[in-house]
Amino acid sequence: MAGSSRWASSAADKAEEARRKLEKEEKKKAKLEKQRKLEEAEELRQNEAAAARDTAAGIGSNGDEEASGRPAKRRRLSTDNNATSDEASQRPRKLLRFAAPGWGPCRSVDNYEPLNRIEEGSYGLVSRGRELATGDIVALKKLKMDNLADGFPITALREIQTLRASAGQTHIVALREVVLGTDPINDVYLVMDFLEHDLKTLQEEMSEPFLPSEVKTLLLQLVSAMDFLHERWILHRDLKTSNILMNNRGQLKIADFGMARYVSEPPPKNLTQLVVTLWYRAPELLLGAEQYDDKIDMWSVGCIFGELLKKEPLFMGKNEVDELSKIFTLCGPPTLHSWPTFRRLPNARHIQFPPTPPNLTPTEVKSMTTPSPLPLRTHFPLLTNSGTALLSALLSLDPLTRPSASEVLKHPYFEEIPRPKHTSMFPTFPSKGAMERRRRWSPNAPVRGEAVDFGKEVDGGKVDFAGIFGGNSEAGGAGFALRMG
Amino acid sequence: MAPEPLSILTNPLATVEQLTSSSSQFDGVPADLETSIIHAGARLTQAAGILLQLPQDIIAQAIVLFTRFWIGSEGGSLLEHNASDVSAATIYLVSKLSAYQKSPRSVINTYAYLASLPATFPLPSTYIDAQDASTYHVSEGTYLTSRQTLNANESLVLRILGFQTHVALPHALSITYMQTLSFIPSPSGTALAARTFEHLNAALLSPQLLYLTHPPATLAVAAIYVAAREIGTKLPEGEWWEVFDCEREDLGFLVLAMGSFEGFVREEVQKWGRRGKVPLTAKQVAGEIEKRTMLEEGA
Repeated sequence: MAGSSRWASSAADKAEEARRKLEKEEKKKAKLEKQRKLEEAEELRQNEAAAARDTAAGIGSNGDEEASGRPAKRRRLSTDNNATSDEASQRPRKLLRFAAPGWGPCRSVDNYEPLNRIEEGSYGLVSRGRELATGDIVALKKLKMDNLADGFPITALREIQTLRASAGQTHIVALREVVLGTDPINDVYLVMDFLEHDLKTLQEEMSEPFLPSEVKTLLLQLVSAMDFLHERWILHRDLKTSNILMNNRGQLKIADFGMARYVSEPPPKNLTQLVVTLWYRAPELLLGAEQYDDKIDMWSVGCIFGELLKKEPLFMGKNEVDELSKIFTLCGPPTLHSWPTFRRLPNARHIQFPPTPPNLTPTEVKSMTTPSPLPLRTHFPLLTNSGTALLSALLSLDPLTRPSASEVLKHPYFEEIPRPKHTSMFPTFPSKGAMERRRRWSPNAPVRGEAVDFGKEVDGGKVDFAGIFGGNSEAGGAGFALRMG
Repeated sequence: MAPEPLSILTNPLATVEQLTSSSSQFDGVPADLETSIIHAGARLTQAAGILLQLPQDIIAQAIVLFTRFWIGSEGGSLLEHNASDVSAATIYLVSKLSAYQKSPRSVINTYAYLASLPATFPLPSTYIDAQDASTYHVSEGTYLTSRQTLNANESLVLRILGFQTHVALPHALSITYMQTLSFIPSPSGTALAARTFEHLNAALLSPQLLYLTHPPATLAVAAIYVAAREIGTKLPEGEWWEVFDCEREDLGFLVLAMGSFEGFVREEVQKWGRRGKVPLTAKQVAGEIEKRTMLEEGA
C-alpha cells in the first residue's frame, strides 16, 4: 500500500525537514503575512467563481467536507499548521497560466458591410467587407452548404477546426470569427483577415518573376507554416499559389483550409484520394495511393517553389495522365531504385514505364538512386546548386525521400547569398482584391543611364510611399519596387 | 488581441456570467430541476456513446459540448430545446470530427432505444429486459424526420457554441503526471490510474460542471489526488501540485467536488426513483414544472 510510493518519508528526510523548519521559523512570520495577502486576494476571486458555480449547480459546497480528505481550503489561513504554510512561505511561486478562450453564440453577418467580391472558388464565395464597429477590412468567406443530408458539411467543420488550431501562427490566415447570415440563417461565413494579394494573381500581373532573395523569403514563410501544421498533425491538402495570400509588407499567409484535416500515424483509414488541385498533386496521389502523409503537402511546396522561380506553374497537366507525364518529363520516370514501391500503387499497373535495366553494376545503381539534377538544371538555369538540390529533393517522386518541412527550414539554400530579403524591403503592388487598378506604367529595374525625375515621370506626378511605410493596415499598393539582391 | 492557439493544455472555459445565469432559469426552470436534467442528459450521452462503441475521449468531448450548450443567458433553454436531441447532436457532431464517424442511422437508433428505457436510473436488469425491438424500432418515415431534427440540432449546437468545438481532456495528461510522480510504473500504479480515470469520467457528469470551470491540468491533478487518497498511495510532501501549475484553491475545490459526486448521484436516484424519468424534452420539462406548481398550490 503506502510503501509502494517513493514519496514515503525516511528518517533522513525527517531530520532534514526538521532542520529546514528551524531555519525558516524566523523568516516565516513576515513572509507568511505577505503571502497571505496575496492569497486572500486570489481566494476572493476564487470564492466568487466557486460561489457562482455552486449557485449555478444548485448545490452547497460544504456538503461532506469532513468525509473527503481534501487539502482543506481554509487550512492555509490558520497559523498553527506549520508543515504546509512553511512550504508556502518560501516565496510566491509563479504558476503557468494558459489563456482560456470562451465561447458565445455566433454573431450575424450584419455586423459587416459588404464591399466587393474577391473571387468565387470551388469552395465558396469570398468577398471583402468592413466590420462596422471597428472599420477593419476583412475577408468574408461564405461556406458552401451541400450534401445537407449528413448535416453540417464535415469539410467546413474541419476548416474551422484546423484554422482555430492554427490561431496565432504568423503565416496562416487568422480566423476572426464565424458569423451567420440573416436571410437564410443557414448561411455561414468565416471572417478572416484581408490580405491584398494572392500569389497567383500577383504573379500574373507581375512583369518579372520574384528575385531570388524574395523567393527565399516567401518559401521560408510558406515552409514555416507547413512545419507548424505538420507538427500538429494537420495536412493542408490544397496548397497552391491561389491559396497563398500576401500583403503589401511582404508577409505571406496560407488560406483556404477547406481540404485540411487532422491525420495520425498510421494514417487514418478514411482518407480521401481526391485531394489537392491537379497541378500541385503529388505523384503518389496521381497513382492512386490510399494512404499518404505530410509529404503530399511538401510536393505542392516544391511545385510552388518552381512556380515562384518561373512565374508560371510547373506542371500544367490537362488531366491526371497528362499531369503524370509532365512530372516524369521534368523529374525523370520512376525506377525501382528512385522509388522502390511505386509499382504497388493501384494506378501504376495501367501505365507503361520504361523498363528498369537488369543486372546493374553498383555504380550504375548509385547513379540511378541519386536523383539527377540535369532536367531541373536546364529548366532553372539561374538557380544555384543548393537551390537545385532543394527543388529536386522536394520534387522527389518517392514520398519517403522528400524532405519534411522542418528539414527544408534547415536547408543550406537559405544560408547562401543572396540571403532572404527582409519582408519590409518587399515591393508593393496594387491589390486586385481591393479593386485597385493596375497603373499603366510600372517601374522595372532601373536601366543604366536612365535618369529618375520624381516630379515628371511617376504616374501623375505624385509619389505614393504609403505602402512602404506601412502606416495603415491595408497599405495601398503604389506599384513601387526596389529591385535589388 | 491575437487569438491563442488551442492545444491539449487549453480549453475554452465558462465566464462567471455564464455560470451564474442560464436561459432555462430565465424561462422559469427551477435550478434543481435544471441540474437534474443536465446531469441526466450527460448520462444519456455517455450511455449512447458506449452503445455506439465510441472511445471514451470522443464521448467525453460530446458531454462537454452538451454541458456548454445550456449555460449562460445566451445558451439554450430547456423549455425550448430537447435535452435528448441536443445530446444526440453533440455525439453526432463530435464523432463526425473524429476518426470514428457514426451514421445518422446509428445515432437515431441508439437514442430511440435509450428513450424506450423505462427509467433514468434503471436497475441493471432493465437493460436485459429491454429486448423487445418493437419498442424502439425506427421506421423509415420516423428516421427521415429524426434525421432532420438531428441536423437542425447540430446546426443549433454549432450556433450557440459559436463553432467552438475544441475540448482538451485531462485523461492523457493525468497519465503523464502519474509517470512524473513515479506512480507509473509501480505496483499500485494500474489501480491508481484506473481510479483516476474513474474520477475524471465521473467529473464529466458533475453538477458543478467541472470541465467548464477548470483547465485539464487542474482536473488531472485533482483526480490523482483523490484517487491516491482512496487507494492509499503516498503522495509527495509539499505542494507538489504546483509543479503541474495547479493552485491549492482550485485543487481544494475540485477534490471536494469529486468527493461529493457519489452523494449527489445517490440523492438524484432517491429523488427520481428507480422508475422515474428525468424530463429530457422541452414538453416534459414544461409538464414537470406544471406538476410542481400544482403540488405547491395544493399543499
